[in-house]
Amino acid sequence: MIIDTNAYLGPFAFRQLRHNTADGLLRLMDEKRIDRAMVSSAIAVTYRNPQAGNEELAAAVERRRDRLIPFAVINPSYAGWLDDLQICHEKLGMKGLRLYPKWHNYALSDECLLALVEEATKRKMIVSIPIRVEDSRQQSWLVDIPDVPLAEIVVLVKACPETKFILLNGIGYTGSPLGKPAGGLPANYFLEISRLSATLADELGTLLAAVGPERLVFGSGMPFKYPDPALLKLEVLDAPEDVKEKIRSGNAVGML
Amino acid sequence: MNESVTRRKFLEVSAAGAALASSHLGFPQPSGQAAEAEAKPADDKAEKMFGAVIDCHAHLAYPGAADSDEKDRKLIEAADKLGIDQLCCSTLTPKRPATAEGFQTCNAKVAESMKRFAGRVLGYCYVNPGCGAEALDEVRRCIEDRGFMGVKLYNEYRCTEPVVFPLVELAIELRVPILHHAGHAHHPLPGQPNISDGGHLAELGKRYPEARLICAHVGGGGDWEWTIKALRHADNVFLDTSGSVVDEGIVEMAAEELGVDRLLFGCDMSMTAGVGKIRGARLGAEAKRKILGENMRQLLNMRG
Repeated sequence: MIIDTNAYLGPFAFRQLRHNTADGLLRLMDEKRIDRAMVSSAIAVTYRNPQAGNEELAAAVERRRDRLIPFAVINPSYAGWLDDLQICHEKLGMKGLRLYPKWHNYALSDECLLALVEEATKRKMIVSIPIRVEDSRQQSWLVDIPDVPLAEIVVLVKACPETKFILLNGIGYTGSPLGKPAGGLPANYFLEISRLSATLADELGTLLAAVGPERLVFGSGMPFKYPDPALLKLEVLDAPEDVKEKIRSGNAVGML
Repeated sequence: MNESVTRRKFLEVSAAGAALASSHLGFPQPSGQAAEAEAKPADDKAEKMFGAVIDCHAHLAYPGAADSDEKDRKLIEAADKLGIDQLCCSTLTPKRPATAEGFQTCNAKVAESMKRFAGRVLGYCYVNPGCGAEALDEVRRCIEDRGFMGVKLYNEYRCTEPVVFPLVELAIELRVPILHHAGHAHHPLPGQPNISDGGHLAELGKRYPEARLICAHVGGGGDWEWTIKALRHADNVFLDTSGSVVDEGIVEMAAEELGVDRLLFGCDMSMTAGVGKIRGARLGAEAKRKILGENMRQLLNMRG
């Protein structure tokens, strides 16, 4: 079984996406033999009021919740976020959050963010943080959004030991406490593999040795990205099958 | 444990591929590689039909560092795992603009590696156009005496500046392609004030219709939609698919706008990204065959 922890539905503000309806994504998943995917609204990243995107997402996945696991985009610096979170969790059945601190103009150390994470943790929701949405070199002239610095995430995961985090679209973990065996951090975070090298520098292999297979999860970034490169990383990864299975789905199943 | 990507799997045409599923492609092994045990007789025909997979954009480590040889060995290992037969390589100076001594050192390393990995590593001669006669002499020496296959230009000068023209004219005379670093971003790229983009390469191609230019790494050069559209009418400019960006649809748009005959498979050291985006692209087997090697083979054959 393969569970994709890094998938999206709907349009994106700066580029046309394909396979971005529920049916379209499911067809793509079938072709790639991906069983389930954690999905959030791509357009909610740029909506001022992301809740509208969450509602669109919930409607889109309604009949396919067996395979599409909805995650809410919540901006804790926007009015009504607590109500939105409650609705997303209790009425819309969202299982986790996607946070965009740089796009939504707040810091991971802000009180509002810590309050959101605390509330999500009480609800046993997973908190995922895309380190980036697009490669910074291709960003529109309208935006200049930096990646989320790993150092800021280190502080957050340390401050919220009961929360389950997934870090998406990230790289460079081996140079951070997040990717070190004695990083002094609680075992409360997972690293998604879509941007990790699996040959040459082989960050994936290095992380496997450093933090163990329990901390790595499969994710592709579809439909922003082709799912094939992430799948290929697992194919060429020098690891036993049981380790690959944890990355493909075992760890995500445990989280869910 | 790990499994190499077999020739059959390399091109798994993932797009709704009942019609294409029967065309899972095989490729001939380069000399010195073990034949794949799992290759079946049915693949033999395919291997004759489909040529070598050629990475049009790779780099060897700068010489001198303790791990330089090890890095190069890992590149060949990665190519083995991913089913890449040949890598068109350059070595760049750590600091640029390169001095003549600097690019000569780089090219000596490439020449050495062409012997060390015979048949696997092909060489681009890297020069700084600002070095004038020394750059021209180096290109001629590398192509004529050392068997290099092309010229690599980076970002010391924008490709439309006159200082670059003598090198383009020499490449035309020697019948070799020029791989040119390129990118188009909507915000300044730090440290790259003279970077060329697809529009500049199209302009250079128009000035020199006999030249064969390769616009580098559409997946590592900023706004790839911009780049593809800028190259639309530049028939003698090829586009290299390499780079770490694996945005869904990038290869298909390039094929639609430029035609598959102008696309060249590459990784630029982002190995699974390079292979994965071709595997994921919704193109037929014949199109992928051209992109993966046939188009580059035709450029290599220009020298005869």
